[in-house]
Amino acid sequence: MSLKTFRGGIHPPENKEPTRDLPIEHVPAPTSVVIHLTQAIGAQNQPLVKVGDRVVKGQMIGDVQACPAAAVHASITGIVKKIEPAPQSNLKDGMAVFIEADGTDETAYMAPLDAFACSREEAIKRLRNAGIVGMGGASFPTDVKLAPPADKPIDTIIANGAECEPYLTIDYRTMMESPADVVEGLAIAAHIVGAKKAYVAIESNKADALPVIEKQFAEHNHGILMGTIIAATKYPEGGEKMLIKAITGREVPSKGLPFDIGVICQNIGTLKAIKEAFVDGKPLIERGFTVSGGACRTPKNLYAPIGTVIADLIPGVIQISDNVRKVIFGGPMMGVAVPTLQTPVAKGTSGVLFFTATESKQYEERLCIRCGRCADACPAQLMPMLLNAALLSDDVNHADAIGLIDCFECGACSYVCPARIPLTQRFKLGKDLLHNQRAKEARHGK
Amino acid sequence: MENKTMKLVLSGAPHFVTGNDIQKTMGMVIIALLPALAGGVYFFGPRALLVTAASVVSAVAAEFLFRKALRRETHVTDLSAVVTGMLLALILPVSSPLWMAAVGSAFAIVVAKELFGGLGGNFANPALVGRAVLLMSWPAFMTRWSPSLHAAAVDATTTATPLGILKLGGTITDVIKSVGASGKSALYLQMFLGNRAGCIGETSGLLLLLGAAFLVVTRVIDLRTPVAMVAATFAASWLFGQDPVFSVLAGGILLGAFFMATDYVTTPVTPIGKWAFGIGAGLMTVLIRQLGNFPEGVTYGILLMNVVVPYLDKIIPRKFGFVKPRKVNA
Repeated sequence: MSLKTFRGGIHPPENKEPTRDLPIEHVPAPTSVVIHLTQAIGAQNQPLVKVGDRVVKGQMIGDVQACPAAAVHASITGIVKKIEPAPQSNLKDGMAVFIEADGTDETAYMAPLDAFACSREEAIKRLRNAGIVGMGGASFPTDVKLAPPADKPIDTIIANGAECEPYLTIDYRTMMESPADVVEGLAIAAHIVGAKKAYVAIESNKADALPVIEKQFAEHNHGILMGTIIAATKYPEGGEKMLIKAITGREVPSKGLPFDIGVICQNIGTLKAIKEAFVDGKPLIERGFTVSGGACRTPKNLYAPIGTVIADLIPGVIQISDNVRKVIFGGPMMGVAVPTLQTPVAKGTSGVLFFTATESKQYEERLCIRCGRCADACPAQLMPMLLNAALLSDDVNHADAIGLIDCFECGACSYVCPARIPLTQRFKLGKDLLHNQRAKEARHGK
Repeated sequence: MENKTMKLVLSGAPHFVTGNDIQKTMGMVIIALLPALAGGVYFFGPRALLVTAASVVSAVAAEFLFRKALRRETHVTDLSAVVTGMLLALILPVSSPLWMAAVGSAFAIVVAKELFGGLGGNFANPALVGRAVLLMSWPAFMTRWSPSLHAAAVDATTTATPLGILKLGGTITDVIKSVGASGKSALYLQMFLGNRAGCIGETSGLLLLLGAAFLVVTRVIDLRTPVAMVAATFAASWLFGQDPVFSVLAGGILLGAFFMATDYVTTPVTPIGKWAFGIGAGLMTVLIRQLGNFPEGVTYGILLMNVVVPYLDKIIPRKFGFVKPRKVNA
């Protein structure tokens, strides 16, 4: 049987064995957290608390009247010690609220809300107030994602359990350990957007999660047609556009969004968070993530309050070896290398990887030999070698003409490049150059 | 825990890379060329190895010394100079003076490759440039052919290649006689096995295809260009009233199609471009054979197509999610 998939893609080592069978471990309550005010794509939040205030776990501490944006909440109960910039996993050092625990476990959750009885507006507002964002890494506000324009009806919603990034196993563990929460969250999301069909999609290397999920359908489907789908194990199968293509055969149009073709994708962790926001009234203040990598002596799946500083988990929870040379927030393909262990876990942190010197090896960039492997690997079916040539000659307009913006930075081209050209990085930079140039042209009324 | 002395590497994603680098790719090509080289030794004697050694050593030395002289990082370990040296040797007559092979590959490396920035910067296939220069500079050496040691009728120290016989007004029957075959199908077989006069590595279709199959299976080369080139040669020579099977087996079509027209740097990267390149190279080769002064045209056929690669690379394939702009009318 040939599995559903997309064209292109790569097969990097999966490296999931160290953690795939380890149950998610709750970290001991941290004595302090650093919660960045803005953790979602969109507007900058303003603090709702002052230094010296006592905040309660679940209390909203940052928000803004703008869209898209997502509120942030205190993840522990304690005193606000300071509000100042702190290292962030997106390397932007945004404003953060430092909270010191006072040892009580008081909570301030919202009242439960029946998603199937309340109005659509109320449901969207709940997502907004619970600060739910896409937890696969993009951190796009879920309330915006689940409220597509009225002229874009949604017929299908997909729970994205592909987890195609090497090392990461947190979505798989969440499906194995909290299948009811995931399916309930999927039903709620499907109900909010009015989708008739809902699928849970996984890569073939996680096939044993499917029976576990399917067992929950009878009790939690809320009348929505639910099914599971196995897609091929291939990177980036979990890329939203790739997964939609694999499962529905529909292609998200260039520069378009999934809702343009009636589909919405949701990350597994996000679905669990959606369920908790409605059923338990709990905002997004904790999340699971995988800790792994060659320099991590204790690979595991953890569940920790948002704002937990990684350095605080060492060595109590995580032990790392002396030869650690790189710390990555996210997976090895799309994650961000951070400069300090003082970086806190954010809503979009799906993993923290510790790489050894060997794993962090830097290569000399050679001239492109035009072997074409990048074009074979590119899931967006671009010609990365031609984009590279255009950008090296500072021709952003030509790069734009041959699809620079369609690159979603999955990293497959850089992975296969025998000349070790940092293609993905160059395209990110190229996009910035292009945006700047377009902005300049707009200013000059061109 | 805060380890003050910890030094962390910062780099853009991805943080993962395949082990398959330029050196491995070139190594595969070298392996794929070994059967043809072995065939050259079998059909033309151990001197084939000497010519190859001279060419390879000169290519590697030229690259090393040139980059040293320019105080640039040397890249000889990527093995691309070895590939160029081998390829050039395989398209030389076995009787080539060793100094000529060395001059040819040094020219190929320095002028055709390094002056354009090294591997990846060159626009023309270095080995073919080397051969073209030798053909212009020492035509006598470049057209002095030794018969195969295993040909039925070996009574001369020099002979003509099958294509050379045709160029001088001979017919297929003369070619059959020259290799001592019993008939047309015996001629085809003998040519396919490589038992004929020609360059060191070009004669055996069997051994070339064996090497090419290895590169196809290991996904080093793409079949589009070679298939197009062979098909175009077949069709065009047939239109000119030639024996199409003979035309494909004669000269350097198979070596050119599978090892020169698949050179990454100097051929198109776009799918349609690859087809067009192969068809163009096949057509040019046949035109040169039919209408030109030389009996063989693979070298110039491919070199001419190398020049138009930037244009062929403009035909980019459909992007994911690309929607044809709809005409706006009321």
